[in-house]
Amino acid sequence: MKFQSNQNNLDYNHSIRPPSIVMKLDRLGSFHQTRLSFTRRLIDDLKYQKSKIEIHQWDIDNSGIGSAIIKTTFKNEILSLIIFCHSINAEERTDRVIAEKWDMTFSLFRGIPNKNELNKLSKNLKIQESGRHNSKQLTLSRANKSQRIFKKVLNDLSIGKQPSDKLINDVGYLVRTTAVYGNGKFGIEDFSKTNGHIFLDKPFQAEMLTVYLIRYFSIELINFLAKKKGGKKSVTLSKHLAKHLGVGNATGLGMAPFLINHQELIHQWIYNRETALSRVFSIKQLDKKTQNRIINYIHQAFKYSLQWKVDDQLQSNKIDALNLDLKKILQNKKLTKLLNLDYPLKNLFDFYKNDINLETQEILNSVFIEPFPELFEDLMNNMGAVEKKSVLIGYNVSDILEIIKDNYKWALEIDTTKSDENYCFWYTSQTKLEPRLGITKKDVGIEKQLPFDIAHQIKQTVDILQKLPSNMTAAEVMINQPKLRNIIKRIITNKSMPYSEIQNNLIGKDMKPIDILRCKLSFFGASKFDPKSDLWTRITLFQGAPLPNELWKIKVNDWLFPNLKNVK
Amino acid sequence: MINVSLNEIYSETYKALRSVNIEWSLAKDCANKAKWLAQHDQYFLGSILKTAELYQNQDITISINENTNTKPLSSALMALLLIEYVSANKITWKGYIDSSKFLLAGMGIIAKEQQINLILENEKRDIIAFTKDQKLFINSCFDINVPTYSFLKIYDFIEKKNIKYTFLKKNKNVIKVNDKCWERLKLMAFETYVEESKTSKSRAGY
Repeated sequence: MKFQSNQNNLDYNHSIRPPSIVMKLDRLGSFHQTRLSFTRRLIDDLKYQKSKIEIHQWDIDNSGIGSAIIKTTFKNEILSLIIFCHSINAEERTDRVIAEKWDMTFSLFRGIPNKNELNKLSKNLKIQESGRHNSKQLTLSRANKSQRIFKKVLNDLSIGKQPSDKLINDVGYLVRTTAVYGNGKFGIEDFSKTNGHIFLDKPFQAEMLTVYLIRYFSIELINFLAKKKGGKKSVTLSKHLAKHLGVGNATGLGMAPFLINHQELIHQWIYNRETALSRVFSIKQLDKKTQNRIINYIHQAFKYSLQWKVDDQLQSNKIDALNLDLKKILQNKKLTKLLNLDYPLKNLFDFYKNDINLETQEILNSVFIEPFPELFEDLMNNMGAVEKKSVLIGYNVSDILEIIKDNYKWALEIDTTKSDENYCFWYTSQTKLEPRLGITKKDVGIEKQLPFDIAHQIKQTVDILQKLPSNMTAAEVMINQPKLRNIIKRIITNKSMPYSEIQNNLIGKDMKPIDILRCKLSFFGASKFDPKSDLWTRITLFQGAPLPNELWKIKVNDWLFPNLKNVK
Repeated sequence: MINVSLNEIYSETYKALRSVNIEWSLAKDCANKAKWLAQHDQYFLGSILKTAELYQNQDITISINENTNTKPLSSALMALLLIEYVSANKITWKGYIDSSKFLLAGMGIIAKEQQINLILENEKRDIIAFTKDQKLFINSCFDINVPTYSFLKIYDFIEKKNIKYTFLKKNKNVIKVNDKCWERLKLMAFETYVEESKTSKSRAGY
């Protein structure tokens, strides 16, 4: 598809959606993968860098225990995934977010480890957080085989049969990770050390490569074990099924504070997403081919949503509503007419936006962005942010109050004295060293709560600032009252980065952490969100993505909303 | 000695200082300065532990006005705030600080982030350090680990006299720290964690 990106077909006059619309948890919790997501960017980069992915070492026995190394060769460097497969008893495999033993442990490593390094890795990877890791390691991860599918697929392949499309689609992965650590955790390399690196200097790039290589390994492993088990009778997994397998991930509260603690980064991600959307809304006209492509993506989204099955009642209801909305759009004879109007995508969205739910609005936005990567290549390459440690000077009391009035209206409207608005608190768990939620009136530990009561802090700040001279500098306020420094820093950051603040009370009864998780995971490129409570979810990464031997293909990155033809 | 990452230095320092009830923002600032010092090959860990102890014993202050020779201003906790205050209000601050080291880290951070030219002098008005063109230069004749009476201000022009200043460069090597001190810091950090209740565990994937 060639898009006419000349000035005549674009005006860039469409404003982007304001933070008051976008930064609400229910909308953030309805985001889907887009062309800007990190899994998509990884595939672009692997192709662009002409990387070569291959098995470097394979010491796995017939029962699937042993080690392996998968090598990714770039022009000037090698990154390798170090893999150890362990034997664990069925009762030790909790198959949940929180576990202490795993079927497989991994680390992305700079270069190929020597014998001594491999020996150390073999001792430390299997114990994950309890081990001591080294600065050549870029990530640390673990995974379990899916109990619902792994054995069944293995048996089928070993007797020369392909597993059913339904089975593959229902689960969507052979292995599921429960954590992929990066950025200096437990002694591994800091993200800041990748500064200037042509491939790694992008948020979560090392983590995404790790998951992509785990997916490749899981497919190679099942084919290997099937051959060992079935010998000549066995077959390898068909290409279309292999492509439909991603890597599962179970994600809990550990991920939630990231969006609160990294204001600059979250602003950058969401601002770029909204800017990309405004740019496609600025397209004056679409040729017939592109119109068909948009309709085709809506069809894809519809098929995807029909195959998206979850147990969670709330999400299940949302998916049902999404199905109905998409069906309505596709059956409307005006669809082609709308796409023939000036500013077709904006018109199409405006035509439906009041009649469709948030899930549908956001899936449409993913569809609209998809065909036009050349319109926002600059944004895709600029998803990182520099986080300032100091507070920008030049602000006084009056300025701070003005920013609060303009940008924190949402916080001022919350009655922070109500018990429902003080329902829970965030803390770090002694057991897992990860954030958890406590109930204020039930649980101990509130004195050690994390400072995520942003709305409350805003109100307290207003009360204090209103009593101070309006021309007093923010620096003077903070040096006299250091307890205000955190929130004043947030407010000043929000002035220039308005998408840096979630506009809900994060300790209120209505707050659903799952929305925070989904927002972040959508930027990773997750699909098939499968909430298990409002505190953790299963997802799939790289489902539908090209396999390593397809990376050279022209339309390699065209895999939004993966679905299988033969599954109803 | 043990190898540690910058991220670990930040997160363990931050939490360790919280464990002795140091304000969130001060703990965060200190963690950032510790990271900066580590990146520039300067010792930091012992000073962090000492700061926590002095703070608990009330042998240091966080007041920019009420500091004395025996109860100096804690530069580990207050340096960034002080530098922002001096820069924003365009004043010369003078007073007792417990050591110059964290002040230098703060100057280095602010020089890079906000391109502010600052100068730090001792009681005799000798230049201890200054920032210029986003870089920090220090006079290696002075011990930056001892308490001093200091002057801090922004400047337009600087007379460097005949002194050799050292530009502090980032170190690209692996950061090594004393394993016993590190263990102490981690134990303090552990104090900020909470035992999970049944309600917390329920629905969280257990």
